[in-house]
Amino acid sequence: MASTAMPSGALQQFLRKETDRTLGACTKCGKCFEACPMTPYSAPLKNANPGAVATGILGLLRGEQGTAEALGWASVCVRSGACVPACPENVNPKMMMAIARITASGGLGGPKQTPVRQDRDFFDRIRAFGRLQLTEDELRDWT
Amino acid sequence: MGEKITFWYGCNVLRHGDIIHSCVDILRLLGFDAQPAGGPDYCCGGVKEANQMAADGMAHRTVSKFNELGGERLVAWCPSCHAHMRDFMGQAYKPEFSLSYFVDVLHEHRQALASLLKQPVPMRVLLHKHVGFNDYAHVNAKVPELLRLIPGMEVVEDGYCAPGYMCALLAAVPAAMGDMVRHTLRLAREHRADALVTVFHQCYRELCGLEPHAGTPVYNYVHLLARSMGLEHVDEYKEWKKAGANAGTLIGEARLDQVGIRFFERAMLPELVKRPAGLSNEEKK
Repeated sequence: MASTAMPSGALQQFLRKETDRTLGACTKCGKCFEACPMTPYSAPLKNANPGAVATGILGLLRGEQGTAEALGWASVCVRSGACVPACPENVNPKMMMAIARITASGGLGGPKQTPVRQDRDFFDRIRAFGRLQLTEDELRDWT
Repeated sequence: MGEKITFWYGCNVLRHGDIIHSCVDILRLLGFDAQPAGGPDYCCGGVKEANQMAADGMAHRTVSKFNELGGERLVAWCPSCHAHMRDFMGQAYKPEFSLSYFVDVLHEHRQALASLLKQPVPMRVLLHKHVGFNDYAHVNAKVPELLRLIPGMEVVEDGYCAPGYMCALLAAVPAAMGDMVRHTLRLAREHRADALVTVFHQCYRELCGLEPHAGTPVYNYVHLLARSMGLEHVDEYKEWKKAGANAGTLIGEARLDQVGIRFFERAMLPELVKRPAGLSNEEKK
Protein backbone atom coordinates (compact mmCIF):
# COMPACT_ATOMS: atom_id res chain seq x y z
CA MET A 1 0.00 0.00 0.00
CA ALA A 2 1.25 3.46 -0.85
CA SER A 3 -0.14 4.70 2.46
CA THR A 4 2.27 2.64 4.56
CA ALA A 5 5.18 4.29 2.75
CA MET A 6 4.16 7.80 3.77
CA PRO A 7 6.85 9.28 5.98
CA SER A 8 5.64 11.08 9.09
CA GLY A 9 6.51 14.71 9.79
CA ALA A 10 4.74 15.97 6.67
CA LEU A 11 2.37 18.19 8.64
CA GLN A 12 5.20 20.27 10.12
CA GLN A 13 6.80 20.45 6.66
CA PHE A 14 3.54 21.70 5.22
CA LEU A 15 3.26 24.33 7.97
CA ARG A 16 6.81 25.52 7.29
CA LYS A 17 6.05 25.79 3.57
CA GLU A 18 2.88 27.78 4.25
CA THR A 19 4.76 29.99 6.70
CA ASP A 20 7.41 30.81 4.08
CA ARG A 21 4.73 31.45 1.45
CA THR A 22 2.86 33.82 3.79
CA LEU A 23 6.00 35.69 4.84
CA GLY A 24 6.90 36.16 1.20
CA ALA A 25 3.48 37.32 0.01
CA CYS A 26 2.02 39.41 2.83
CA THR A 27 2.43 43.18 2.40
CA LYS A 28 1.15 43.98 5.94
CA CYS A 29 -1.68 46.10 4.55
CA GLY A 30 -3.95 45.01 7.41
CA LYS A 31 -7.05 44.43 5.28
CA CYS A 32 -7.45 41.01 6.91
CA PHE A 33 -7.59 42.60 10.34
CA GLU A 34 -10.10 45.21 9.21
CA ALA A 35 -12.44 42.47 7.95
CA CYS A 36 -12.33 40.38 11.13
CA PRO A 37 -15.61 40.27 13.12
CA MET A 38 -13.81 39.24 16.32
CA THR A 39 -11.56 42.24 16.95
CA PRO A 40 -13.97 43.90 19.44
CA TYR A 41 -13.42 40.93 21.77
CA SER A 42 -9.76 41.56 22.52
CA ALA A 43 -8.75 44.54 24.67
CA PRO A 44 -5.30 45.09 23.08
CA LEU A 45 -6.98 45.49 19.69
CA LYS A 46 -8.88 48.63 20.66
CA ASN A 47 -7.70 51.38 18.27
CA ALA A 48 -4.97 49.06 16.99
CA ASN A 49 -3.26 49.90 13.71
CA PRO A 50 -4.22 47.13 11.21
CA GLY A 51 -0.83 47.12 9.49
CA ALA A 52 0.97 46.93 12.82
CA VAL A 53 -1.19 43.99 13.94
CA ALA A 54 -0.43 42.16 10.68
CA THR A 55 3.28 42.91 11.15
CA GLY A 56 3.04 41.37 14.63
CA ILE A 57 1.40 38.25 13.21
CA LEU A 58 4.26 37.84 10.73
CA GLY A 59 6.67 38.21 13.65
CA LEU A 60 4.91 35.32 15.38
CA LEU A 61 5.29 33.25 12.23
CA ARG A 62 9.04 33.97 12.29
CA GLY A 63 9.16 32.66 15.86
CA GLU A 64 9.54 36.06 17.51
CA GLN A 65 7.93 37.20 20.73
CA GLY A 66 4.42 38.28 19.75
CA THR A 67 3.20 41.81 20.28
CA ALA A 68 0.20 42.24 22.58
CA GLU A 69 -1.92 43.03 19.54
CA ALA A 70 -0.78 39.97 17.57
CA LEU A 71 -1.33 37.63 20.52
CA GLY A 72 -4.69 39.28 21.22
CA TRP A 73 -5.86 38.78 17.65
CA ALA A 74 -4.61 35.19 17.47
CA SER A 75 -6.44 34.43 20.74
CA VAL A 76 -9.85 35.47 19.42
CA CYS A 77 -9.59 33.96 15.93
CA VAL A 78 -12.51 31.54 15.48
CA ARG A 79 -11.90 30.86 11.77
CA SER A 80 -14.69 33.06 10.43
CA GLY A 81 -12.78 33.35 7.17
CA ALA A 82 -13.93 36.95 6.58
CA CYS A 83 -10.26 37.79 6.11
CA VAL A 84 -9.82 35.54 3.07
CA PRO A 85 -11.68 37.58 0.44
CA ALA A 86 -10.36 40.80 2.03
CA CYS A 87 -6.74 39.93 1.21
CA PRO A 88 -5.54 41.65 -1.98
CA GLU A 89 -2.45 39.42 -2.19
CA ASN A 90 -4.03 35.94 -2.08
CA VAL A 91 -2.16 35.15 1.14
CA ASN A 92 -4.97 33.10 2.78
CA PRO A 93 -5.01 34.97 6.09
CA LYS A 94 -7.11 32.19 7.67
CA MET A 95 -4.17 29.84 7.22
CA MET A 96 -1.83 32.60 8.41
CA MET A 97 -3.85 32.98 11.61
CA ALA A 98 -4.05 29.22 12.12
CA ILE A 99 -0.26 28.99 11.99
CA ALA A 100 0.06 32.06 14.21
CA ARG A 101 -2.15 30.37 16.82
CA ILE A 102 -0.14 27.15 16.56
CA THR A 103 3.12 29.05 16.98
CA ALA A 104 1.83 31.21 19.84
CA SER A 105 0.62 28.12 21.71
CA GLY A 106 4.06 26.51 21.43
CA GLY A 107 2.75 23.90 19.01
CA LEU A 108 5.93 23.92 16.93
CA GLY A 109 8.24 23.70 19.90
CA GLY A 110 8.74 27.38 20.71
CA PRO A 111 7.67 29.14 23.91
CA LYS A 112 4.00 29.16 24.88
CA GLN A 113 2.90 32.77 24.45
CA THR A 114 -0.84 32.20 24.79
CA PRO A 115 -2.63 30.16 27.46
CA VAL A 116 -3.14 26.55 26.44
CA ARG A 117 -6.12 24.71 27.88
CA GLN A 118 -4.99 21.40 29.31
CA ASP A 119 -7.77 18.81 29.24
CA ARG A 120 -6.40 15.44 30.22
CA ASP A 121 -9.85 13.86 29.91
CA PHE A 122 -10.60 15.10 26.39
CA PHE A 123 -10.50 11.79 24.55
CA ASP A 124 -11.58 9.62 27.48
CA ARG A 125 -14.66 11.83 27.88
CA ILE A 126 -15.57 11.28 24.23
CA ARG A 127 -15.08 7.52 24.60
CA ALA A 128 -17.21 7.50 27.74
CA PHE A 129 -20.11 9.33 26.08
CA GLY A 130 -19.83 6.80 23.26
CA ARG A 131 -19.97 3.88 25.70
CA LEU A 132 -23.20 5.28 27.13
CA GLN A 133 -24.95 5.33 23.76
CA LEU A 134 -23.43 2.83 21.34
CA THR A 135 -23.75 -0.95 21.58
CA GLU A 136 -20.73 -3.18 22.11
CA ASP A 137 -20.88 -4.21 18.45
CA GLU A 138 -21.03 -0.60 17.29
CA LEU A 139 -18.12 0.37 19.52
CA ARG A 140 -16.07 -2.47 18.05
CA ASP A 141 -17.00 -1.86 14.41
CA TRP A 142 -17.54 1.92 14.26
CA THR A 143 -14.77 3.34 16.43
CA MET B 1 -26.68 -1.82 -1.80
CA GLY B 2 -25.33 1.14 -3.71
CA GLU B 3 -22.05 2.99 -3.42
CA LYS B 4 -19.76 1.85 -0.64
CA ILE B 5 -18.77 4.81 1.52
CA THR B 6 -17.09 5.45 4.84
CA PHE B 7 -19.15 7.72 7.06
CA TRP B 8 -16.50 9.64 9.00
CA TYR B 9 -18.54 11.06 11.83
CA GLY B 10 -15.68 12.55 13.86
CA CYS B 11 -14.94 12.47 17.60
CA ASN B 12 -17.09 14.80 19.64
CA VAL B 13 -20.35 13.71 18.06
CA LEU B 14 -20.03 10.49 20.09
CA ARG B 15 -21.89 12.55 22.70
CA HIS B 16 -24.87 12.37 20.39
CA GLY B 17 -25.41 8.69 19.62
CA ASP B 18 -28.83 9.56 18.21
CA ILE B 19 -27.27 11.84 15.57
CA ILE B 20 -24.79 9.13 14.52
CA HIS B 21 -27.52 6.47 14.37
CA SER B 22 -29.86 8.77 12.42
CA CYS B 23 -27.15 9.70 9.89
CA VAL B 24 -26.26 6.06 9.32
CA ASP B 25 -29.94 5.16 8.87
CA ILE B 26 -30.48 8.06 6.46
CA LEU B 27 -27.44 7.14 4.34
CA ARG B 28 -28.52 3.47 4.21
CA LEU B 29 -32.13 4.40 3.37
CA LEU B 30 -30.73 6.49 0.52
CA GLY B 31 -29.05 3.34 -0.76
CA PHE B 32 -25.48 3.83 0.42
CA ASP B 33 -23.46 0.95 1.81
CA ALA B 34 -22.26 3.12 4.69
CA GLN B 35 -19.60 1.98 7.15
CA PRO B 36 -19.28 4.39 10.10
CA ALA B 37 -15.82 5.29 11.40
CA GLY B 38 -14.98 7.78 14.11
CA GLY B 39 -13.94 8.40 17.67
CA PRO B 40 -10.45 9.22 18.92
CA ASP B 41 -8.85 6.47 16.76
CA TYR B 42 -9.95 8.42 13.66
CA CYS B 43 -9.34 11.89 15.10
CA CYS B 44 -8.18 14.54 12.63
CA GLY B 45 -5.78 15.98 15.21
CA GLY B 46 -7.25 19.45 14.91
CA VAL B 47 -7.55 19.66 18.68
CA LYS B 48 -3.79 19.30 19.05
CA GLU B 49 -3.03 22.88 18.04
CA ALA B 50 -0.47 23.22 20.82
CA ASN B 51 1.32 19.96 19.99
CA GLN B 52 1.99 19.59 16.29
CA MET B 53 4.07 16.46 16.80
CA ALA B 54 0.95 14.75 18.12
CA ALA B 55 -1.21 16.38 15.43
CA ASP B 56 1.15 15.06 12.75
CA GLY B 57 1.03 11.54 14.15
CA MET B 58 -2.76 11.61 14.22
CA ALA B 59 -2.99 13.02 10.69
CA HIS B 60 -0.60 10.34 9.39
CA ARG B 61 -2.48 7.58 11.20
CA THR B 62 -5.94 8.68 10.10
CA VAL B 63 -5.08 9.28 6.44
CA SER B 64 -3.25 5.92 6.36
CA LYS B 65 -6.26 4.10 7.84
CA PHE B 66 -8.62 5.60 5.29
CA ASN B 67 -6.17 4.91 2.45
CA GLU B 68 -6.13 1.25 3.46
CA LEU B 69 -9.87 1.08 2.75
CA GLY B 70 -8.97 1.15 -0.93
CA GLY B 71 -10.26 4.43 -2.26
CA GLU B 72 -13.73 4.42 -0.75
CA ARG B 73 -15.36 7.85 -0.69
CA LEU B 74 -15.27 9.46 2.72
CA VAL B 75 -18.41 11.32 3.76
CA ALA B 76 -17.64 13.62 6.67
CA TRP B 77 -20.16 14.73 9.27
CA CYS B 78 -17.93 16.95 11.40
CA PRO B 79 -17.07 20.38 9.95
CA SER B 80 -13.78 20.48 11.86
CA CYS B 81 -12.66 17.11 10.51
CA HIS B 82 -13.74 18.05 6.99
CA ALA B 83 -11.93 21.39 7.09
CA HIS B 84 -8.84 19.90 8.74
CA MET B 85 -8.65 17.18 6.10
CA ARG B 86 -8.99 19.73 3.31
CA ASP B 87 -6.65 22.38 4.73
CA PHE B 88 -3.98 20.39 6.59
CA MET B 89 -4.06 16.57 6.62
CA GLY B 90 -4.90 16.20 2.96
CA GLN B 91 -2.27 18.77 2.02
CA ALA B 92 0.48 17.22 4.10
CA TYR B 93 -0.27 13.57 3.34
CA LYS B 94 -1.60 11.81 0.27
CA PRO B 95 -5.25 10.82 0.54
CA GLU B 96 -6.25 8.04 -1.84
CA PHE B 97 -9.93 8.73 -1.31
CA SER B 98 -12.36 11.48 -2.21
CA LEU B 99 -14.01 13.58 0.48
CA SER B 100 -17.60 14.78 0.57
CA TYR B 101 -19.54 16.62 3.22
CA PHE B 102 -22.71 15.02 4.61
CA VAL B 103 -24.97 17.99 3.78
CA ASP B 104 -23.73 17.95 0.16
CA VAL B 105 -24.54 14.24 -0.13
CA LEU B 106 -28.06 14.73 1.23
CA HIS B 107 -28.56 17.70 -1.06
CA GLU B 108 -27.40 15.72 -4.11
CA HIS B 109 -29.97 13.05 -3.19
CA ARG B 110 -32.73 15.42 -2.09
CA GLN B 111 -35.33 13.92 -4.40
CA ALA B 112 -34.84 10.49 -2.88
CA LEU B 113 -34.67 12.05 0.57
CA ALA B 114 -37.97 13.87 0.03
CA SER B 115 -39.72 10.59 -0.68
CA LEU B 116 -38.61 9.31 2.74
CA LEU B 117 -39.85 12.38 4.63
CA LYS B 118 -43.41 11.21 5.13
CA GLN B 119 -44.37 12.38 8.60
CA PRO B 120 -45.31 16.06 8.99
CA VAL B 121 -43.29 18.07 11.48
CA PRO B 122 -45.36 21.24 11.86
CA MET B 123 -42.84 23.74 13.12
CA ARG B 124 -41.51 27.22 12.34
CA VAL B 125 -37.77 27.13 12.87
CA LEU B 126 -34.92 29.63 12.85
CA LEU B 127 -31.68 28.29 11.39
CA HIS B 128 -28.57 29.02 13.45
CA LYS B 129 -25.85 29.84 10.91
CA HIS B 130 -22.12 30.54 11.02
CA VAL B 131 -19.97 32.23 8.41
CA GLY B 132 -16.82 30.12 8.50
CA PHE B 133 -17.70 26.70 7.10
CA ASN B 134 -19.90 27.85 4.26
CA ASP B 135 -16.82 28.15 2.01
CA TYR B 136 -16.26 24.39 2.28
CA ALA B 137 -19.88 23.36 1.76
CA HIS B 138 -22.81 25.68 1.17
CA VAL B 139 -24.59 24.58 4.30
CA ASN B 140 -26.33 27.92 4.92
CA ALA B 141 -28.30 27.50 1.70
CA LYS B 142 -28.57 23.72 1.53
CA VAL B 143 -29.74 22.92 5.06
CA PRO B 144 -32.83 25.18 4.75
CA GLU B 145 -33.58 23.48 1.42
CA LEU B 146 -33.39 20.08 3.10
CA LEU B 147 -35.56 21.20 6.00
CA ARG B 148 -38.21 22.53 3.62
CA LEU B 149 -38.60 19.02 2.21
CA ILE B 150 -40.22 18.06 5.53
CA PRO B 151 -44.02 18.34 5.37
CA GLY B 152 -45.22 21.12 7.67
CA MET B 153 -41.79 22.66 8.18
CA GLU B 154 -41.38 26.42 7.83
CA VAL B 155 -37.82 27.77 7.88
CA VAL B 156 -37.15 31.35 8.85
CA GLU B 157 -33.98 32.64 7.26
CA ASP B 158 -32.45 35.63 8.87
CA GLY B 159 -29.44 37.44 7.47
CA TYR B 160 -27.51 36.99 10.71
CA CYS B 161 -24.54 34.62 10.63
CA ALA B 162 -22.53 34.09 13.80
CA PRO B 163 -18.74 34.56 13.65
CA GLY B 164 -16.59 31.48 13.39
CA TYR B 165 -17.56 28.21 11.84
CA MET B 166 -19.15 26.67 14.90
CA CYS B 167 -20.06 27.47 18.48
CA ALA B 168 -17.40 25.28 20.07
CA LEU B 169 -14.71 27.75 18.97
CA LEU B 170 -16.86 30.75 19.81
CA ALA B 171 -17.40 29.40 23.34
CA ALA B 172 -13.68 29.97 23.94
CA VAL B 173 -14.40 33.71 23.65
CA PRO B 174 -17.23 34.03 26.22
CA ALA B 175 -18.08 37.67 25.42
CA ALA B 176 -18.59 36.80 21.75
CA MET B 177 -20.57 33.69 22.65
CA GLY B 178 -22.75 35.75 24.97
CA ASP B 179 -23.45 38.36 22.28
CA MET B 180 -24.29 35.63 19.78
CA VAL B 181 -26.66 33.85 22.20
CA ARG B 182 -28.48 37.04 23.17
CA HIS B 183 -28.84 38.07 19.52
CA THR B 184 -30.01 34.62 18.46
CA LEU B 185 -32.64 34.40 21.21
CA ARG B 186 -33.85 37.89 20.29
CA LEU B 187 -34.18 36.81 16.64
CA ALA B 188 -36.07 33.66 17.64
CA ARG B 189 -38.56 35.80 19.55
CA GLU B 190 -38.86 38.41 16.79
CA HIS B 191 -39.50 35.75 14.15
CA ARG B 192 -41.87 33.88 16.49
CA ALA B 193 -39.85 30.73 15.83
CA ASP B 194 -40.97 27.52 17.53
CA ALA B 195 -37.41 26.27 17.66
CA LEU B 196 -33.80 26.99 16.89
CA VAL B 197 -32.06 24.55 14.50
CA THR B 198 -28.32 24.05 14.30
CA VAL B 199 -26.27 22.75 11.38
CA PHE B 200 -23.37 21.36 13.43
CA HIS B 201 -23.30 19.12 16.49
CA GLN B 202 -20.77 21.46 18.14
CA CYS B 203 -23.38 24.23 18.08
CA TYR B 204 -26.06 21.82 19.22
CA ARG B 205 -23.93 20.69 22.16
CA GLU B 206 -23.59 24.31 23.30
CA LEU B 207 -27.05 25.63 22.48
CA CYS B 208 -29.25 22.75 23.68
CA GLY B 209 -28.34 24.03 27.16
CA LEU B 210 -30.59 27.02 26.39
CA GLU B 211 -33.72 24.95 26.14
CA PRO B 212 -34.59 24.59 29.83
CA HIS B 213 -33.94 28.30 30.47
CA ALA B 214 -34.85 30.43 27.47
CA GLY B 215 -38.01 28.57 26.47
CA THR B 216 -36.69 27.92 22.97
CA PRO B 217 -36.43 24.28 21.90
CA VAL B 218 -33.19 23.49 20.09
CA TYR B 219 -32.60 20.75 17.51
CA ASN B 220 -30.01 19.72 15.01
CA TYR B 221 -31.40 19.53 11.48
CA VAL B 222 -30.79 15.77 11.45
CA HIS B 223 -33.18 15.39 14.40
CA LEU B 224 -35.96 16.89 12.30
CA LEU B 225 -35.16 14.85 9.16
CA ALA B 226 -35.10 11.71 11.30
CA ARG B 227 -38.41 12.57 12.95
CA SER B 228 -40.07 13.04 9.57
CA MET B 229 -38.64 9.70 8.43
CA GLY B 230 -40.07 7.95 11.47
CA LEU B 231 -36.65 7.18 12.94
CA GLU B 232 -36.86 7.05 16.70
CA HIS B 233 -33.41 7.47 18.16
CA VAL B 234 -33.69 9.14 21.55
CA ASP B 235 -31.76 12.37 22.08
CA GLU B 236 -30.32 11.41 25.44
CA TYR B 237 -27.68 14.14 25.51
CA LYS B 238 -30.35 16.86 25.54
CA GLU B 239 -32.22 15.08 28.34
CA TRP B 240 -29.01 14.83 30.36
CA LYS B 241 -28.23 18.47 29.66
CA LYS B 242 -31.70 19.52 30.75
CA ALA B 243 -31.36 17.45 33.90
CA GLY B 244 -28.03 19.15 34.67
CA ALA B 245 -26.78 18.09 38.09
CA ASN B 246 -29.33 15.24 38.13
CA ALA B 247 -28.18 13.76 34.82
CA GLY B 248 -26.72 10.72 36.58
CA THR B 249 -30.20 9.61 37.63
CA LEU B 250 -31.32 9.52 33.99
CA ILE B 251 -28.20 7.68 32.87
CA GLY B 252 -28.73 5.06 35.52
CA GLU B 253 -26.44 3.12 37.79
CA ALA B 254 -25.63 0.35 35.33
CA ARG B 255 -24.34 2.71 32.64
CA LEU B 256 -22.56 4.94 35.13
CA ASP B 257 -20.68 1.86 36.31
CA GLN B 258 -19.49 1.34 32.70
CA VAL B 259 -17.73 4.70 32.65
CA GLY B 260 -16.95 4.90 36.37
CA ILE B 261 -18.86 7.19 38.69
CA ARG B 262 -15.78 9.17 39.69
CA PHE B 263 -14.84 9.77 36.07
CA PHE B 264 -18.44 10.76 35.30
CA GLU B 265 -18.51 13.30 38.11
CA ARG B 266 -15.09 14.72 37.30
CA ALA B 267 -15.05 14.72 33.51
CA MET B 268 -18.59 14.46 32.16
CA LEU B 269 -21.02 16.07 34.59
CA PRO B 270 -19.47 19.58 34.43
CA GLU B 271 -20.34 19.96 30.76
CA LEU B 272 -23.89 18.73 31.38
CA VAL B 273 -24.33 21.35 34.09
CA LYS B 274 -22.70 24.13 32.03
CA ARG B 275 -24.97 26.65 30.32
CA PRO B 276 -24.02 28.86 27.37
CA ALA B 277 -22.82 32.39 28.00
CA GLY B 278 -25.44 35.04 27.32
CA LEU B 279 -28.29 33.83 29.52
CA SER B 280 -29.42 36.41 32.03
CA ASN B 281 -29.40 35.48 35.71
CA GLU B 282 -33.20 35.43 35.56
CA GLU B 283 -33.14 32.97 32.65
CA LYS B 284 -30.58 30.74 34.38
CA LYS B 285 -32.97 30.08 37.29
